[in-house]
This record gives sequence, structure tokens and C-alpha cells, in this order.
Amino acid sequence: MKYDVMVVGSGIAGMESSIKLGDMGYKVLLVEKEASVGGRMILLSKVFPTLDCASCISGPKMSSTINHPNITTMTYSEVEGIRRAADGTFNATVKEKARYIDWNTCTGCQDCERACTVAVPDQFNAELVPRHAAYIAFPQAVPKKAVIERAGTSPCIDSCPAGIKAHGYVSLIRSGMFEEAFQLVLDATPLVGTLGRACYAPCETDCSRAKLEGTIPIRRLKRYVADKHYSEQDGPGITVAEPNGKSVAIVGSGPAGLTAAWQLARLGYQVRMFEAAARAGGFLRHAIPAYRLPHDVVEQDIANVTALGVEIVTSHPVRDLEALKNQGYDAVLVATGTPRSMALGVPGEDAAGVFTGLDFLRKVSLDELPDLTGRAVVVVGGGNVAMDAARTARRLGASEVRVAYRRGREEMPAHTAEIDEAEMEGVHFDYLVAPVNVVSDESGAVSGLRCQRMQLGEADASGRRRPEPILGSDFVIPCGAIVSAIGMEPDDRPFEAVTGVARGHRIKVDPITLQSDHPYLFAAGDVESGATDITRAIGHGRRAAYMIDNWLNDRPLDGFPLFDDPLGVVDRDEVLARQTRHTHRGPVRAHSVHSSAPTDFAEIEPPMTEEEALFGAGGCLDCGVCSECQECVKACPADSIKLDAKDALHEFEVGAVVISTGHKLFAADLKPEYGFGRYPNVITGMQMDRLLAPTRPFNTILRPGDGKVPDRIAYVSCTGSRDETTGNPLCSKFCCMYSIKQNQLIMGSLPLADVTMHYMDMRAAGKRYDEFYEQAKDMGATYIKGRVAKVTEKDNGDLILRYEDIENGGGIVEAEYDLVVLAVGIQPNREVERLFGGEPLGLDEYYYVAEPNAEIEPGQTDIPGVFVAGTAAGAKDIVDSILHAGAAVAQVAAHLTQSELAEVVPV
Amino acid sequence: MTEERRIGVYICHCGGNISDYVDVAAVREALKDEPGVVVAETTMFACSDGTQHDMINDIRGQGLDGLVVASCSPKLHQITFRGVSKRADINPYAYTQVNIREQDSWAHGDDPEGATAKAIGLVRAGIAKSRNSSDLVPLVVETTSATMVVGAGIAGLRAAIGLADVGLHVYLVEREPTLGGWVATFGAMFPNDQDGRQQIAHLTEEVAKRPAITVFTNAELVGKSGSFGNYVAEVRINGEPSETIRATVGSIVIATGFDTYEPEAGEFGYGIEGVVTLPEFKAMVDASDGTLTHGGKPVRTIAYIYCVGSRQPAGGNEYCSKYCCAASCHASLEVGKIDPSIHQYHLNRDIRTYGKYELLYTQSREQGSVYMRYPDDTPPTVELTEKGQLTVTTIDALTQSEELAIPADLVVLVTGMVPRANEGLTGLLKLPVGDDGFYNEIHPKLRPVETVVDGVMIAGACQAPKTASESVGSGLAAVAQSAAILKKGVAELDPLVAVVNDAACTGCGECLKGCPYDAIDQTMCDGRTVALIIPSVCKGCGGCVPLCSEDAIDLLGYTDVQMRAMIDSLVEVAVS
Repeated sequence: MKYDVMVVGSGIAGMESSIKLGDMGYKVLLVEKEASVGGRMILLSKVFPTLDCASCISGPKMSSTINHPNITTMTYSEVEGIRRAADGTFNATVKEKARYIDWNTCTGCQDCERACTVAVPDQFNAELVPRHAAYIAFPQAVPKKAVIERAGTSPCIDSCPAGIKAHGYVSLIRSGMFEEAFQLVLDATPLVGTLGRACYAPCETDCSRAKLEGTIPIRRLKRYVADKHYSEQDGPGITVAEPNGKSVAIVGSGPAGLTAAWQLARLGYQVRMFEAAARAGGFLRHAIPAYRLPHDVVEQDIANVTALGVEIVTSHPVRDLEALKNQGYDAVLVATGTPRSMALGVPGEDAAGVFTGLDFLRKVSLDELPDLTGRAVVVVGGGNVAMDAARTARRLGASEVRVAYRRGREEMPAHTAEIDEAEMEGVHFDYLVAPVNVVSDESGAVSGLRCQRMQLGEADASGRRRPEPILGSDFVIPCGAIVSAIGMEPDDRPFEAVTGVARGHRIKVDPITLQSDHPYLFAAGDVESGATDITRAIGHGRRAAYMIDNWLNDRPLDGFPLFDDPLGVVDRDEVLARQTRHTHRGPVRAHSVHSSAPTDFAEIEPPMTEEEALFGAGGCLDCGVCSECQECVKACPADSIKLDAKDALHEFEVGAVVISTGHKLFAADLKPEYGFGRYPNVITGMQMDRLLAPTRPFNTILRPGDGKVPDRIAYVSCTGSRDETTGNPLCSKFCCMYSIKQNQLIMGSLPLADVTMHYMDMRAAGKRYDEFYEQAKDMGATYIKGRVAKVTEKDNGDLILRYEDIENGGGIVEAEYDLVVLAVGIQPNREVERLFGGEPLGLDEYYYVAEPNAEIEPGQTDIPGVFVAGTAAGAKDIVDSILHAGAAVAQVAAHLTQSELAEVVPV
Repeated sequence: MTEERRIGVYICHCGGNISDYVDVAAVREALKDEPGVVVAETTMFACSDGTQHDMINDIRGQGLDGLVVASCSPKLHQITFRGVSKRADINPYAYTQVNIREQDSWAHGDDPEGATAKAIGLVRAGIAKSRNSSDLVPLVVETTSATMVVGAGIAGLRAAIGLADVGLHVYLVEREPTLGGWVATFGAMFPNDQDGRQQIAHLTEEVAKRPAITVFTNAELVGKSGSFGNYVAEVRINGEPSETIRATVGSIVIATGFDTYEPEAGEFGYGIEGVVTLPEFKAMVDASDGTLTHGGKPVRTIAYIYCVGSRQPAGGNEYCSKYCCAASCHASLEVGKIDPSIHQYHLNRDIRTYGKYELLYTQSREQGSVYMRYPDDTPPTVELTEKGQLTVTTIDALTQSEELAIPADLVVLVTGMVPRANEGLTGLLKLPVGDDGFYNEIHPKLRPVETVVDGVMIAGACQAPKTASESVGSGLAAVAQSAAILKKGVAELDPLVAVVNDAACTGCGECLKGCPYDAIDQTMCDGRTVALIIPSVCKGCGGCVPLCSEDAIDLLGYTDVQMRAMIDSLVEVAVS
């Protein structure tokens, strides 16, 4: 696309430039990074010296801008790079940021905003109040359309292999929306109660709060909403699609199979599951001990699936997949997991009293309890199954339980919490030992395990150091039972004849589509991946269901956006940096009581209270900003929410560029002696303007610390200006005047309030400015010449100012105020430095855009064809910006006119 | 007039500017069933883009053909909502803006009930006006792509070059024999030591290079006729003999600059040998041959007294002259270049070196200049002692308000700017003048170079005190504004002009005499002499309407029918 001029930034200077150029007939592209045009002026209360309402006079400019026939406005877009071409024109790349809301259909109704469960500081209210992640910039926004702020995928969501919106349900829980939180998890998997207990919770490892006081209790929050749902409702409480006439057979009823069944049934498929065991649930029911995952919780979760009409045929091992297909199923999913324990592979292991880990746990789950009373038990292996077996053995009365593992503790694959808890329950660990043979007594029963000691050598393919035997280090651990838990693998019998078998007896399917070379046949979970965990299996189950649905509807199988194309994870340091203040929140810990000699299988971890749940969820830092809780999706009447939207890059050719990127305001916390950020009743001038604006957040002037209406208000001028200690020796020009304006407005609103301004020189230089200053004095404002040294806070939130009083002898004086307003000054917007690739735009020594010949050629930069308008070039008030924009426009028009002339003149 | 207008009425909260005092919901309730009213809504900001869209949707969805917005002054938003009407394809002149802010909520903050009742009356009258409105079509005139710049100081020169560079013809009119104004008299100027004479020489050369610029020196604008887009400007070139030429121009840029304040005799010792004004001092410094002397004696001590002729008490020049602080700081630096050992005392009220000019102030202090604040109510005094020593006495606030006597060789009265005496031009162009004597813009914030006279712009220090570079900036802003209105080649004029009912006109000629714009002529109609109003010249002031004894003149947009209907509506309220 070609434009005559690109204007970067739609503050008052950018709008003025665009309108004037558009009026001249030039085609203008206006790029604005926020969702609305208008810049800072629209946010002001009134303007000096006329006291016109800022909204009333800049609102129409905004409207004229966006409705101008010659102006194309791109809001929520950023210039990525501008390159000057050989012919003197420019190529610009503009990123249209994903808005996550389709503006073609958005009506600006704000239903999404009201539904949103995330609150972040509202930059359009100078962070005095929060706004939502789904928001319309401000009430007078142009265009009046909503966007959803997504800084990235939240780490908790990003780390979840099941694709569960952890941030979303945490956000719903803190909003008291427990059932909605349950439903959000249910959208991913029926196994809500299960995950609330048995998930290894990578979300908590990655939680940004973990870097502070400790993680948000994400897993237990899930348990909380599951328990609450199950105690209050029968059934999942969802509506499903009409039957679509297609059917799917699922072999295996573990977490992968159950999740796939759930997803497919909701889409209208008729699903039948085949389970070899007498009860459904796979490892959930038969491997994970009940003290971690009670059986009734698994039953409740499974009931979600059966409630949708999914039939689970138990005690029905499937041997022939082809036959199953021929029974009329449109697709078959294999999700049989890893039911086989790997053999120890040492002599004597068929002795009585040697169990495989899975057998051992299955027997216990079926109440076929082996009698270990008084026997010593050795568990071989270092995975979670080994931990479960060891802790189960403790509960069966074993006199001593030792875990023998051939590497060190650091290398153990079991989750740290599991190891810790096993230790707490009295399990002993023998590291760097490997079994040599099983020692039996005369009766053929186990009497000990001969082991040898190991040492760690070079790292192997898994990155862990390879254990190597130490010769001659053999010894015997006396014991009455051995549980070998050194690994599991799939049972490849059902599929070896049909499709390929991969290493480790796994079924061979495409890792993305999970489809085998027989298109009807899919696989999910550990049977495909080898032994992992329930959360990964659930993710796999979701993927399988997505792929089966696509395949059965002739849609391409080119990836699952949920997992294969997510928004990049947000940078955790950026999240922490974003928070100007942290409220310390101690983590909510589970008060589990671990007996050193446990005797029963009752659930160990206690449930959370509602109070704990709300407090725990309340600590969420909203890393990705949007929590993906989906409430806006449900609320939007126009179906406009598109959370999978992507940024789009656009290329433009433009004849000239106007830089009107404006300024930043001084960050007042960089003057720590004034206490901004620490003392809530110290605010900035911009915050006061918001308190005074017609769209003011509290509809009155109050101090943020305690909501009191202030009686004594002090202004501290030159905060961050004329101050070498902040690196800024320049005067910011507008702060005196905006302070005087606010002084007058405050006196109008709070007739009894005393307003005092501490100033250095009153820079009321401009048409009718000094008269305006005199008017404020006449109204009763007090002006004290001299700098403020320090602000201190009293217990009641009042503030003591220590200042110099030049006009009364130059003494150091202290005075008390209710509210202190820091008249912060201007800082350069250094984002401008990123705009130009190759040939950089010249800046002055204070990082404003340089105008090499400002006296005669205002608006000209050091790049021909690039012009600057407004405060991007230095301190200006509104009328200065308007005039400067006018000058820049005259320069642009001259440049374009001369370029045109140059083109038509034959060389 | 259409058969029956279908009208949409929107009553604005204006944030709280209106709704804090006027019960806008009650206004809506009272008027929603008025004849012709199809839609009646209240809105937070009628002018916001969102509400504008809503209005357009209502107009299209409900088939409206008339619009009433009760909000602020039409000065602010009449154009906005006419634009809404236009975008919704209804006649923009069926729109009526009712001012319930400046003329109601702001005026009656102490009486919310009364303000609400008044709002109901005003809005009802507005509805009556829209109901009785006719569809009008704007007058389209072709514009002349030429501009006249009056005044060839630095602002006028730069504006002339800018206008030529965007393809407009320029007539540059300068009263003096040479171009350049004040800046042509200056040497090094703040903030970057650019030499004023060189700057003017450069600009004059650039002007000469451009054939599109016609320069008249010794010349004055003495006549203006025609209308916006096609003014006929009459320029008298003084000389023996004088000559008058006429040029047709689309717009006029006034850049007549300022005069410097001339202290009265005795004001801060003015008149005493050694007491000089800032421009006089500047000339001395600029002319320095490496020494600074006065009256044949080397200058060792200089006292500057700030705000002479500026920030005066009520009745005087109350304004700040803006440039003088930075100019004096800069002058002190120039003095330091000549002889850094010269003592310089700056007796000030505030040092207003705003923005980057602050660096001058800092440098000046670093070089040894002493800045002292004097109390607003006790300005320094200047006298010659019996020994003939020029002495400045002041109270230094910082040192326990002690009285200090500074013996000085030179006292510089930091004199400000005053508006230039331009009565002839002001009257000719009917330019509005503020109570500070400078020309007034339409809106001091957003439309600083435009005046209420269409196509006549103000640039430089004739609008308010400005630095040289600020004057250049406003000159170029006037270029942008001229180009914005002239580059299209055509302009639309409001059709709100007077019309004559030929049948009723008796050709008495009273209206001709009363028209301040010479917009009325006479013509023959069916053998009779009747008045003829030239629409492009008529300003729609309505002055002729009551002059006509036969009621033969009506003002479009404010017809007698409309006005009577409005009055009836208001009376109805007052009575009820």
C-alpha cells in the first residue's frame, strides 16, 4: 500500500498533522500503538488557560481524524521499522497487534469488559484504578472498540501438557466463580478431581509467584472447585452437541482414553470404551494409591464421561483392532498405556515375595492386600511408581522399607514431593546401588537382595550420569519382599499385527496427528509416548480427540493450535518488573500430616477452605494479563472474541514520515525523597488530572490512601525537571501551568481546601498564562518559592513537607498536608529510537528528536523526508504542539510538492 | 420545508459538566413526546465517536431527517454534528445545537431545578427550530491559490517561503523599506547564537529565489473586499507618487509583529544616563568591538531589572512577555564572552527560561551572574547618587529580605513586547483584539493561527509575545492552514445567508446602507429595483432583516418562522 505520509502517534500533534495533511488532499496513514487515538490530551481534565474541558475539544479532533476521508488510521499498531529507499521515499513495516476481538463485529458494548476476571492497573487512569484485561481504552475512545491485552501465554498455562487454562481458573476462583472454574478445567478433561490431587503441577514450578513468596496453590485450587462441584451437583453440568451419527471406539480407560472420550462425546460422537480390567480408570484406579487419589474421586471423574452417554465396557481386553473397526466404528483410538512392568533381569527374581510395582499396586487397589507385617521390603527403582510402592508397603505393615536406586537422589525421576513424603513416612533410601540377584531361603521365598554399589560416570543420552558398578562392592540387603519398579512399557499385542511398533513396544503413529498408517486408527497416551504421567496423557487424549474429529470431518490434520501454535510464553522477569509494588502474600500450604508409620489409605492432603482458596488465588500476578478464563467468549453477544488471533505485519510505501510519538512523564519514584510509590497520598500531576477529569474514577477528589477528601493539598513543582540529580537539567514547561490549572479546579471543587504550591520559578510564559496565574492567586491559592527537600508520612497518612521558604528569609520550614501532588515533568519517549532501521534518526543530547535547524526549519529532522511534530522534539504544551504540528505539516507539504516537481522535471 | 421532520434529540451529560446540575433524564422525559421527536436519548459525551456512530445508526434506522443535540456552545460542536448529519446523508442544516452548558449548567450551578427547567425550554426551542428548518445547500466557491502575507519579519518571511514551496502564489507586503523586521537588527540570538542578520539575509535570499513570491516594500494593505477564497486585497505602495495595486488572494496571513515596550521617563530610572532598555543593550552588545563601554567608560557592573513593562498590575500590561528572561540570560552570556570579569546582577520576579532555554539560565549562573528575586510589591529603584553613581536598590528575598544597594555602570531594563499600533489594518480586516492588545485567535488551544475572519490568519508576535523561533513556527502553521483550505481549489461556505423576497422588496435601499459587509446590491426584477444579496459576501449576520420595513428579507437557517416557533416554545415553558 502507498500513502503520501505516514504519521506515527495520534496524540494532539499527530491528529493535527494528519487532519491538516488530509485537508490538503494527501493520503495519510496514521499509526497509533494504543487502541484509541487521542494520546494524552483526551485524558486531561481541563486545559489552561481557558479551562476548556479537554474531552470536549479533543474528542471532536479524534472523531475528525478517524472519519477523515484521506486518513487511514491503524490503532493498536506499532511501527516496526522505517527504511529510506533510494528515491527518497520510505518503506515502513507496521505491526497490527492482535486485538483478540474482531473489530468488524465488535459493537463496543463492553460486555467483555464486565465479564473479564482480570484487573490490571489502568494506564488511562494514571494507574489510580484498575481496568480489565478486556477493555475499551477509555469512555471517549475512538474507535470505541475493545481489545484484550495479552502479554503472552501465562507460564502456568504454557507449562501444562494438558493445555489446561490454569491462570483462567485461578482468576475465576479469586472472583468467587468456583463453578465456572470447574467448568474451565472440565473443558479440557473430565478428570478434574484427579488432577486436583495427582497432577505433578508443572504450573506451580513455573508460577511467577514462586519467585517471590511461593507458588499459587494451583493444583489444590483445582481440587477445591472439583470437591465443591461434586458435593453440590450431580453430573458435569454441561450441554453437549446433538449426536452427529459417528462413532468412535476407545481401547483403554486411563486418563488419555477418558479425556478423548469426553472431548468426542461432547462433539456429538457416540463413544464406546473397552477396558481390560474389571473397573475403569487404568492407572488412576489401579496404580495411584488411594492415600494420594481416593477411588471415589476417580469414580466421580469417570461419571462425568458416562453422564454423556459414553459406555465403558469393562473386563473386555481388545486383541483385534481391525475387528473392532469392522464392527462399524468410524475411528478407533488405542490408549492402553503401559500395563507391563519391566523385569528386574537378575537371577532369582521369580522367588516368592518378588512383585512388580504395578502388580503390587494393582493388588492393593483391589484390596488384595499382601501381608507384609513385620517384613522388610526393598523397592527397586526411583520413579513415582517406586515411591507409591514404598509408601504403600509402609501402610501394609512392613517393618522396614528401603528404596534401592542405582543413581543419586538428584537423578531420581520421581517428583521431589513424592520423595520427600516417602522419607517423612519412614522410607529409607539406598542410593547408587543396583540389584545383582535375589537371595531366597530354602522355601523359595525371598530373604534378601544382593546389590552392588555404583558410581556415576559420563552423562548418557538422557543427560543423567551413567551409573557404573564398583567391582567387589557386593552386599546383601536382608528382606522379606521385593518390589521391582524399574520401568513400564506398553503391551504391544493388540496392535503389533496391525500397525508398526516403535522402540519400547510403543505404537507407531505420527507424533502430531497421532494417526497411524491406517487412517482410522489413532493412539494416545503412554502407549504412544512411553511411560509419562497422567497430565501428559490427558493432553494426548485431547490431541487425539481433536485429530479424530478433524479427520472424520475431512479437515486437515496439520496441528493442534492449542499445543502447536500457542502465543509465546510471557517473560517472567517482565512480569515481576511490571509490578511496581508487590503485596507480600504468604503462600497457602497444605497442612498435610505425614505419619512416620502410616497405617491406612485415607487421603493425606486436606482440602482447602474457601478462605484459603480465595486468598491463594488472589495472589496471582496475571502474568499473561488475559487469563484465558473464557468469560468474555461466553459474554460477547457478537461472538467477536478471537483468542487465537495473531499479530499481522503490513508493508507500506510512504512519501514522508511525521514522528509524533509524544513523551513520557517522569517516573516519580525516581525521586525517592518525595515518597511516591511508598506513600499512597503522594500522587502525580497526571493522577490529579484524572481525579479532576469529567470521566474521573472516583467522581470526586480524594486521596488514594484512605479515600479522605483532602483539605490541605500541596504541589511540588519541578519533580524530575531542572534537576541534575535525575539527569534532567531541562525545564518541562507545562508543569507550572497544569499545576495552576489544577489549583483552580480544586478550589472550584473543594471550596474549603487550602492549596499550596512550592515552586522554583513560576513559568507562566504564554498567552494569558500569567493572567491565569494571577487569577489562581486571587482565588486563594498560596505560592511558596523554594524547593521541597523531603516528604515524610505520618501514621495517619498525612504528609510532612520539608521545604525552603525563599521569600520569607530563606529558612527551612516544615508543613503538614493531606495530599501531595508531584508536578512531574516530561521525559523523552525513547521508543522513537527503534523506528528507523539502517539510518538512525538523529536525537539531541537529551534523547529528543533533533531539529538541526530548529530556528528556521522547525519540524525538520536530520533525515530528509522525516519530520517531527509535538513533544517528540521536546517539552511543549498543547498549543505549542498544535503550532509545531502545523510547522511540520508545512514542511511535509513543501517536501512532497518539491518531490513531485523534481519527478516531472526531465533529467 | 419538509412535510414533517423526524427528529432525533440527544441530551449530553458532558461528563458531569451538564449532568451535575441539569437533570438530563428529566429533560429527555419532558421532550420525548414533542411533535416531530422520534428518538430522544441522553448520552455521556455526545461528541464522542461512539455516540456519533449511534446517532448515524438512529438516523438511518429510524429514518430521521432532523437532529438536535443539547450540549455545549455551537462554537465547539456545531461543525461536529453537522458532520454527523452529512455522514448520515441528511441535511446538515436541519441540525440545531442547543447550548445547555455555557448558557445553562455552568451559569446556574446554584439552582439545579431552575437549570433543568431552562434546559427543557432551550431544547424545546431547538426542536422547534429543527422542525421548521429547510434543506440548505452549501455555497461552493472556487478559491484562488494565492496568499497575502502582511509583514516581512522573520515569521512573514518564513511563511512566504513555506507558502511558495507548497505551490501557492505569495504577495509579501512590508511597510518598511527593507525586509526582516526586528530580527534583522540582532546579532547572536538565543538559544543557539544564530545571528539574526544572517538569518534574515538567508531568508531574503530564499524569497528572491522563488518566482512565486511577489514582494512589496514600503507597502501597506489598505483595502479588502470579496470573500473567503477570493479576497481582493488592495496594497498601497508608498512613494512619490504612491501607487495602489490589487491582488486576488485566497487567504491572508497577518504577521505584523510587535513593538518593544518603551518605559516612561523615570520608570526605573529611565532617562538617567546609563539606564537602557533591553533592545538598546542588545544593540550595544552586538556592536561590541571586544569591549563593553558606556559613556566612554568601561562597564564593570550591570544590573538587569526584569519584567519592565510586563506582568504589571491591573490596568497595565498584565501579560508576561515570554522572551525577555531567556534573552537577558543570553545577553549576560554574550557579555561574559566580551569580559567574564564584568559583574552582572539579575533582579527578577521569576526566571522563565522554559524548556531547553533553562540551559541558558544555568550557564549564566555558572558564569557568575547573580540572580536575585525582588518582591512583587516592592520593585527595585534606580537613582543617581550625589556622587553620580548609578545605584539600584532592591530587597533580596533570600537574604532575610535585606535591602541591597548595587552600584552599577549600566542598568538594563528588561523590557517586554507590546502590541503594534495597527488600527488601520485591524479595522480593515475586522480582526478581533484581546484586552492585552494582541490579535485574538479563534481558539487559543487548538486553533491558534486562525481568526474569526475566514481565511485570515495571524502568525508571529502580533498574536502574543513569542520568541523568534516560535514566530517562525506559527508562520509555518499559518502556511499549513492556508494550504489546507486552498490546496483543494474549492471551498464550501455556509448557506446561512440573507435572501430577499423580490415580490415584497420595494427597493428602498435601507438594507444596503445597513450592511457592514457590502454584501447587498440592487438589481432589476420585473422592471423594479430590488435588493440583491451576494451570498458569498454575506456573513449571515442578520443585520438587514430588521431594517426591512416590508419584512422582505429572511435569514436562511434563522428564518422568522423558525425564530417565532422557538420563542413560542420558550414562552410555553415560561407560562406552564
